[in-house]
Amino acid sequence: MYYQLINFGNEEFHAYPDKSLYWKRLNTLIVSDLHIGKSISYAKNKQFLPPYDTKEILNKIFVSLDKIKPSNLIIVGDLLHDVFSTLSLKDQDHKNLIQYRKNTDFIWIKGNHDKNIQIEGFKNFTNYKIDKLLFTHIPIETSLFQICGHYHPKVKISHRGKTIFKTCFIHNEKIFILPSFGILTGGLDIHSKQISDVLGKNNLSIYPVGQDKVYKL
Amino acid sequence: MNINKSNPLLLHPLNKWMKKKKWSWFPHQIETFHHVRTGSDVVVFAPTGAGKTLTGFINPIDDLIKLKKFKGLHTLYISPLKSLANDIVRNLEKPIKELDLNISFQVRTGDTTPYKKQKQKQKPPNILITTPESLALLNSYENAKEFFHNLKYIIIDEIHTFLDNKRADLLSLNIERLQTFSPNLQRIGLSATLKNKQDAKKWLCRKKPKIISYENSVLPKIKILESKKRIPWSGHMATYSINEIYKEIMKSKLTIIFVNTRAQAEYMFKNLWLINKKKLKIAVHHGSLEKNLRLKVENNLSEGLVDCVVATSSLELGLDYGDVEKIVQVGAPKGINRLLQRVGRSNHNLNTPSKAILVPTNRFEFIEAKAAIEEIKKNNLDKIDLKEGSFDVVAQHIFATACAGQFDINDLYKEIIKAYPYKKLKLNDFKQLINLIQDGGYVLKNYDQFKRIFQLRENKNIYKLVNRRETRKYRMNVGTIIENPMLKIKLGTKTLGNIEEVFIQNLSQGDSFIFAGQVLEFQSMKNNLVQVKRSKSLISKIPSYSGGRMPLSTNLANSVRALLAKSNMWDLYPEQITEWLKRQKNISKIPKKDEYLVEQFPRKKNFYTVIYTFAGWHANQTLGFLLLRGFKEFNYKPLGFVANDYAIVLWSLKEVKEIKTILNLGLLDKHLDNYLEETSIVKRLFRDNAIISCLIERRLPGMEKTGKQVLFSSDLIYTVLKKNEPDHILLKSSYEDAKKNMIDYDRLREILKKIDKKIILKKLTSISPLAVPIILEINSENLSKKETDEYILEDLENEILKEANVLSIN
Repeated sequence: MYYQLINFGNEEFHAYPDKSLYWKRLNTLIVSDLHIGKSISYAKNKQFLPPYDTKEILNKIFVSLDKIKPSNLIIVGDLLHDVFSTLSLKDQDHKNLIQYRKNTDFIWIKGNHDKNIQIEGFKNFTNYKIDKLLFTHIPIETSLFQICGHYHPKVKISHRGKTIFKTCFIHNEKIFILPSFGILTGGLDIHSKQISDVLGKNNLSIYPVGQDKVYKL
Repeated sequence: MNINKSNPLLLHPLNKWMKKKKWSWFPHQIETFHHVRTGSDVVVFAPTGAGKTLTGFINPIDDLIKLKKFKGLHTLYISPLKSLANDIVRNLEKPIKELDLNISFQVRTGDTTPYKKQKQKQKPPNILITTPESLALLNSYENAKEFFHNLKYIIIDEIHTFLDNKRADLLSLNIERLQTFSPNLQRIGLSATLKNKQDAKKWLCRKKPKIISYENSVLPKIKILESKKRIPWSGHMATYSINEIYKEIMKSKLTIIFVNTRAQAEYMFKNLWLINKKKLKIAVHHGSLEKNLRLKVENNLSEGLVDCVVATSSLELGLDYGDVEKIVQVGAPKGINRLLQRVGRSNHNLNTPSKAILVPTNRFEFIEAKAAIEEIKKNNLDKIDLKEGSFDVVAQHIFATACAGQFDINDLYKEIIKAYPYKKLKLNDFKQLINLIQDGGYVLKNYDQFKRIFQLRENKNIYKLVNRRETRKYRMNVGTIIENPMLKIKLGTKTLGNIEEVFIQNLSQGDSFIFAGQVLEFQSMKNNLVQVKRSKSLISKIPSYSGGRMPLSTNLANSVRALLAKSNMWDLYPEQITEWLKRQKNISKIPKKDEYLVEQFPRKKNFYTVIYTFAGWHANQTLGFLLLRGFKEFNYKPLGFVANDYAIVLWSLKEVKEIKTILNLGLLDKHLDNYLEETSIVKRLFRDNAIISCLIERRLPGMEKTGKQVLFSSDLIYTVLKKNEPDHILLKSSYEDAKKNMIDYDRLREILKKIDKKIILKKLTSISPLAVPIILEINSENLSKKETDEYILEDLENEILKEANVLSIN
């Protein structure tokens, strides 16, 4: 699989088109904002999205784990959409998760969506530090380099008279934001106030995610 | 029986009023009165000015007077437009007031205040004038049955606008519901003249069906603008003839200039202003303008305060503007019915002919305009094809039914298949639609605890709404008209109208564009509002609106082909047209009316294949894509294609040798699914389906979703569903819609069935005169959305890389 090389915090990362980020030096895979069970949570309000998102997200992550065989999997928040999400996890899903955890250490950082939810046997953290890097769902005041999620960044590209929106990896000098790994999750324009407040407007490195390739702008 | 002998209308309560006005009854009015009185459902065909509105009310008024102080709702009048509904009220008011008849009547549309609506529910008028959407809403109330149980007549106005679309489906289902509530209900349809009157009858009538028809013998006077300038090869803006159009406006008291698109309207308006030395009062009218602006133009029009209005189809239907003297149609007529509808906007007097001038914007359009005039002389109208009803409308109807109270699915199914569009609805599909409303209808049963409707334990056929709160969601989603995502344009605090979100996305701050006849500068976009200021810029974009591109009708296409082949007529045409056709004849060939000319020639480094199908834009677009696939298979290395109403041009790296082998029915069967897959047609239709079937919400009270979000989530649903449940009823529904509406499947099939025996292949050394117009339309390769996205990213990245290299070298 093609990846895009990204330098951040004096470390090298590989950005994959499945929206995961790989830190080769420590054999660590990083994903964010899976929002497992979003469909079931919408169904509460009689908004019946197709109930396949959980299955698809888990498959996607398992494919990635099989291929990369990382020692660690860091989830930077919003693994689950809400308390109802666990309803969409079938017994088999639990069994699979346990199976994968034999070879990979799962580090689940809590996000705003799943901060009050527990899954049996899952360690969870509010943030997690490795060397000079801090993994956290929403950036905090710190001198460390931060890798976060939460914002589901999307970039608007106008070129040759056409305009498209693409999910993207994005960072400035100190803060890196991952795209959402989920299926039915939307996106937020990187020029929106919420994202600008965090990253500022200048010196941004933007990596739109294409079909089989991550691009660099 | 000879009705004329004794006119029963002479004893009608309205007769006195007619006499006072010195009007006499039309034969079709006498016939209608007779047949409705003897229990027939009828469709009345009559031209404008022949007392159509009154015809519908003859029997209801007679009944109501005889019944004396009838309490409750007696007659329902369905109008296709809100504005028309108001107009009907005004027309009905005159005789009822002047004769002091004891009959109450009111209008109920989306514009009626909640207070008034509430009052109407408590104390219904005798006659209610409303729209299909308002009727659907009325039927979704718990007391619908009591409200309608004495209903005697339903009158459908302009029924020809209701035959071939989802709105018609919705209306047909609701008419059947009314019939269930009130078995004695009689149906009266009013229509402009139609080719297939029988179809309209089948659609509407159940009891002793009867067609009543009154033909107008006065033909409209239509001619083509005689221009001193040459009609251009290609293009759609008629810039060449602007001065002559202006002269035509000056000659008449009041002119409506009809154009085919909103972009053309803005362009024409702007160009007329530039040469408006006499300071004529010219206005513009199209569907995207703010309602108040539109109403202002309409009022000025009916009061004769303007000299000219540039309009799109937004002014086609509707009020009578008695003083309109002349119609100018700029661009292709596209169809006979449409042209007649437009031409009929002038001179609403039955005995004087309407006057119209056609302005072709390119050479093919000249032939088309000529052909249209010929067909109108022969009164050869277009056929309106009835279509099978759409699934999503049934889903919405099921939801509505649940809102009105618990229901038996077998009863509902039996009622639905009485409606003409749903005669062939399969029980299995219907059950899937029930499931769709219940919990999304997915195979994976995840939502058992979240159902919207549920089966009673004691009787599995009875379904009931889980929660009354859901009725509000239905009411927010009611209707079948889905607009593209639009944003409001604000000049200061004034709203000018709506513009497509896609257009705004392509603008940067400071860019100027033309809207509502003004040059505006884009400033910012916040919360769905586009803030603009006036601009003096000379370079401005014109918003293009994706919807509304109508294909050339089959009827007119046949006529165009026939006319092209008549070489003895050519000398009567403007010189450059005659030249054009003669040269075509010498260099290549003019196809006979049942032949399909295919021309092939090298040009620049590529090989070109032009196919003249005259199949209309939709079908040609589809065929172009299919051929692209076919060419790929034969390894001709195709690069792209462009289609218009008349022809398709494809260009490839290699010579296409086996065109006859490729161009046949097999092509359609083999590649159609791929086509639907790769273009976003089905995806776009899926969004409409998801909203109409109430799977996703159009908007929520208090928190208006932006169009973008709706689009976005429906795209995600589409992708997930396609992958996991390709047989889902809504996907099936979207495919059916695509076949029915977007790709002209049936028309293409008809052509491909017979094409291989009728291909005339011409191998040329260079481009032919006939091919010039379409070659000029080539400007971009046709790539699928997926490919386009990747192409844009790739290209942008490359450019940046190049830039980066240059920088590092320096």
